[in-house]
Amino acid sequence: MSSTIDPRLLRAPPKKGLRLSWADERFRAIVWQVLIVSAIVFVIWWLVRNTQHNLEVRRIATGFGFLGREAGLPIGESLISYTPRDTYLRALTVGVLNTLNVAVVGVVLATIFGTVIGIARLSKNWLVGRIATIYVEVIRDVPLLLQLLFWYTILQSLPGPRQAINPATGVFLSNRGLKLPFFHWESAHTAAFGAFVIGCVALWFVAKQLRAKQYADGQPRALWPWALGLLLGLPIAVWLVLGAPFTTDIPALRGFNFSGGLNVSPEYFALLIGLVTYTAGFIAEIVRAGILAVHQGQWEAAQALGLHRGQVLNRIVLPQALRVIVPPMTSQFLNLTKNSSLAVAIGYQDIVSIANTTLNQTGQAIEGIAIIMGVYLTISLSISLFMNWYNARITLVER
Amino acid sequence: MSDALIFQPKAGKPAPPSTLGVVGWVRGNLVSSLPNAALTLLGAYIVYAFFSAVIGWAIVDAVWEAQNRRECLDLVGRAGACWPGVKAWIPNLIYGLYPKDQVWRINAGFLVLVLWAVPLFLPWVRSKVMIGLGLVLLYPLLASYFFHGGDKGLVWGALIALGLTGFLWSWLTAIAEARREAPLLEGRRRWILLAGLYAVSLLVVSQWVLDEVQTRLWGGLFLTLVISGFGITVSLPAGILLALGRRSRMPLIAAVSTTFIELFRSVPLITVLFMFNTMLPLFLPAGVEVNRLLRAIVAVCLFSSAYMAEIVRGGLQAIPKGQYEAAAAVGLGFWQSTSLIVLPQALRIMIPSIVGSFIGLFKDTTLVSIIGLFDLLSMARAVGEDTVWLGLFIEPFFFVTMIYFVFCFSMSQYSFHLEARLGAGQRR
Repeated sequence: MSSTIDPRLLRAPPKKGLRLSWADERFRAIVWQVLIVSAIVFVIWWLVRNTQHNLEVRRIATGFGFLGREAGLPIGESLISYTPRDTYLRALTVGVLNTLNVAVVGVVLATIFGTVIGIARLSKNWLVGRIATIYVEVIRDVPLLLQLLFWYTILQSLPGPRQAINPATGVFLSNRGLKLPFFHWESAHTAAFGAFVIGCVALWFVAKQLRAKQYADGQPRALWPWALGLLLGLPIAVWLVLGAPFTTDIPALRGFNFSGGLNVSPEYFALLIGLVTYTAGFIAEIVRAGILAVHQGQWEAAQALGLHRGQVLNRIVLPQALRVIVPPMTSQFLNLTKNSSLAVAIGYQDIVSIANTTLNQTGQAIEGIAIIMGVYLTISLSISLFMNWYNARITLVER
Repeated sequence: MSDALIFQPKAGKPAPPSTLGVVGWVRGNLVSSLPNAALTLLGAYIVYAFFSAVIGWAIVDAVWEAQNRRECLDLVGRAGACWPGVKAWIPNLIYGLYPKDQVWRINAGFLVLVLWAVPLFLPWVRSKVMIGLGLVLLYPLLASYFFHGGDKGLVWGALIALGLTGFLWSWLTAIAEARREAPLLEGRRRWILLAGLYAVSLLVVSQWVLDEVQTRLWGGLFLTLVISGFGITVSLPAGILLALGRRSRMPLIAAVSTTFIELFRSVPLITVLFMFNTMLPLFLPAGVEVNRLLRAIVAVCLFSSAYMAEIVRGGLQAIPKGQYEAAAAVGLGFWQSTSLIVLPQALRIMIPSIVGSFIGLFKDTTLVSIIGLFDLLSMARAVGEDTVWLGLFIEPFFFVTMIYFVFCFSMSQYSFHLEARLGAGQRR
């Protein structure tokens, strides 16, 4: 029965040997790659040679040795103790911490505010929807730098400390920034905060256990007593055991300025308001798109199964919306972090601002730029690694 | 059966008046429930508070005529805006420090741009792609002399003439196509005509003398438009090439493109600007001077190309594999299938993101004010540093905010329009 096989199929496939001809695709690919890579290598070699020559002429020593020298640059606010007599390394660390400070607080606030605006834009209330739409359109079409300068100018033109706006006891808003009442931070508070973190982890395990039990026998079990105990009870217990220290620290006007309390500088405040309101406009659109992406039938089907509204949102709608929301949200978080570098324009001393001053003082341009780029690369890669991990957890598992 | 029970429907009742007209709309959309009504009240209060404050400040209590800021402060204090300062600075806000007697050159340059673009919107013109490409590639040559002027060497003169030829040729094509005389511009006759036009242009350009205006005098809205114009025209083609490179099967090219894209996307634009500003003089051989504007333009172009590349990659991924295979099956090579089959489809999907990226680029040009260029935002800040108008910041910011908003908003509206028009084939 040889007739069932088409004789043409019996012919051997064409040879895979590489021909030195322009007609061979692989040959062309190799030629192109060699050409492009050698061009790039040549350009880089040329730049490096020029740079070496220029550095020699200007007598600039390369290397990171300058990091150990005394910085002598004053920094207005820092999370760790710092004086101008500390080293450049410490000054740059202060800058990184300042960047992280505004980025983390900004991301949290922008997410909350953006979600509220996004939901408001979908509201059935015509007026609320319109206000949210106008907000989003206007805020996204005006440059962030302009908004930052705008906020900063407004904060600068507030009355001085003696005529400070005082909306509530201990809260003062003046051209020196925002003063908030606080309490003296002691070791017991650190311990309580540690207990809170432990409580969070423990709650996660408890929730997992409870869900496993529910899957086994179908009985739903309440999580909230556990949450109350672990998140509130445990830290309070630790705090009480350690003697419950609590002394309030209310800002008060002494002479020409305030003393005590928590101080939010005008630079930080302007940067934070600007970043949060701007990024919230973008996050609102992402949240809106995510919610619209969940089909109406999903709500109806879940209700038909007898789930109540909270369950529908938690178990049915949010998991599906998050799949749409998380990837663009990641890039918004990255944008906010990168945009925090505009701090340099209003005098908040973040990493760009401090590295730039360092660069001007020492003349170490290459090292300064390399440090800034290294910091942002690390931050960006960490955020995207975390968000990719989270995204992988919530994506739909398909066959 | 005559006494059969026949179902007689009653005439339908009219809808209750409370669901109709204005009353119905208000009940349905504003006060459908108690919390909803509370929200409406809150919203109305916010709208009222915001607009009464803004209108009161910007119009009702504002000062329109004054010689300096002191006069404004004496009249209304800080309760009202002080517009005379902005009014006095409007020429600077638009043209920067450009010599006042030369400002007509900027206007003329932009007029040429508009005239060149007109055939793109005329329905009977068929060679829109050619005219558009010519505009993007050749207009900068012509504009460079309008804006910069000065001593043109042989090469630059030839390039300027090329720009002028492109402009004349576009209109010649448009007129010929309007009169259905397109064959006039085909075959050998076309090349003779082109050569003649080029000769005439060379002659015109050689007689054309404009004073030099150095780029450090460029500023205001004009500079913002120059930087973003360059960024937009470079970033789209560069982004397409980078995206193709990243998707390429040649491993080295993919690696190079990916490194470039990821590197530029993970650092802030301000860092890139600082880098080019401080490091370009180090990178280039001694004696080669690159002016600040060029450094900023290069930085903006590289940065936005990396972002554009990721948008284009998204669009390319959305094209089903069958399209590539079908193109290969009819015998198209890589460049043919990419430019004729894949990219036209991908670009249509990408319009919203591309325009979004252009808007972002336009807004990001404000950052050049940090490295010492006098763009629109720097000029707005300069108003408050003028001794006559010392401290006048909010009013110019308000004014340039409106300029930026008008530009960005019209770009996004145009993108909706374009998307709807090009998506006509997708509608049922």
